[in-house]
Amino acid sequence: MQAMTKRKAPSDKLAALSACMTRIANDRDKSAFAELFDHYAPQIRAYSLARDPGADLVADDLVQEVMTRVWLKASKYNSNLANLNTWIFTLARNCRIDYLRRNSRYVTEIDPTDIFNDMEDEGPGPFQMAQQGRAEESIRAGLEELPREQAEILTKVYLEGKSHQQTSEELKLPLGTVKSRVRLALKKLEVLVVR
Amino acid sequence: MDKATNHPYDELLAAYSAGSLPLSQALCVSAHLENCKSCGQKLQRLNRVGSQLMQQLKPARASEQLKNRLLDSLDALTDEAAEHEPTKVDPSVPRCLHQFIDSNYNDLAWKRVSADIHSVELCRDSNGAKVELLKIKPGGSATTHTHLGDEYTVILEGSFSDEGGLYRQGDFMVRTDNDQHTPVATQDRECICLAVTEGPIQFTGLVSRLLNPFIRRGYA
Repeated sequence: MQAMTKRKAPSDKLAALSACMTRIANDRDKSAFAELFDHYAPQIRAYSLARDPGADLVADDLVQEVMTRVWLKASKYNSNLANLNTWIFTLARNCRIDYLRRNSRYVTEIDPTDIFNDMEDEGPGPFQMAQQGRAEESIRAGLEELPREQAEILTKVYLEGKSHQQTSEELKLPLGTVKSRVRLALKKLEVLVVR
Repeated sequence: MDKATNHPYDELLAAYSAGSLPLSQALCVSAHLENCKSCGQKLQRLNRVGSQLMQQLKPARASEQLKNRLLDSLDALTDEAAEHEPTKVDPSVPRCLHQFIDSNYNDLAWKRVSADIHSVELCRDSNGAKVELLKIKPGGSATTHTHLGDEYTVILEGSFSDEGGLYRQGDFMVRTDNDQHTPVATQDRECICLAVTEGPIQFTGLVSRLLNPFIRRGYA
């Protein structure tokens, strides 16, 4: 029957992962935590390595930070308000910002903790929620169809964590071109249409 | 306060979502977001873009050792963030500014800049940008000035107008180094803004031009 085995559809997989969050919140279930680790740790490491290629210890540290927050914040996570994949992304982003701030050559007096708390207590209304599944799918499809130069810019900004200025220097493009490519990409993905 | 008509432009919001914005600028975006529902909805979609991009990366295997180390640490974990005392800060102050403001705007160490303006510096960012609050008295005017770098402004209380139009509570704006402008607070009340300047302000009036060397020194 091996030919019949199908890869789980992304939505089934997501539902299983969300159930793990409930098990952690209600029962402090470590096997649920291990399941989340198996799925997300390789993604989080890849995200870290995209910015710092070869820095395996930094990547492991980021996994540790993010997964620790997953364990501590599981009871606050509400799958009706936020998609788990997106929630994990925002945790990874926030942990990376913290890490960079602590390890930067340049001192900043600004504590990011209260700046990036967007996913933790607000979510879309029921109407947006109904559209969320569709939005996931359309963003995924849209990313595949983006012109290479637009996808490249999104990768620089989102995964490598480059500012527009750094992106412009690295790709030897005028700053205005970087900004307009971001804008064009977002337009193609239709993420900014407020319905 | 959900009445803002001037919002961060899309690519700035995307950089915020990506976490690639300097923290001083992120502070301004955050102060705007706390009271702007439409930008909040955009941000959620932008976060989804980040999430999808992350999922498309080739997974980088994590060691069993890392997993076991984490599993062993779980029982001893406590959530330090959850133990924070309830805030005593006035609810009208955006949450992202609570790190600088203990109670309310009045209790800050305001310094006189001109007859119409007081300011208080909150901090510096790693790129040298200055983060400050500006208070313009009712009907008061900020001297005509340009900037050597960009200036990010969010109106926290009151309203002002300049060559570009009228700006109200919650409004977010960026002035580039080429824009020359003269903000004037409306008559009804004083105007308090969060302002982030990347380089020193250049006053362009004949007399105030003499001030420039002194002001620039503040950025050394």
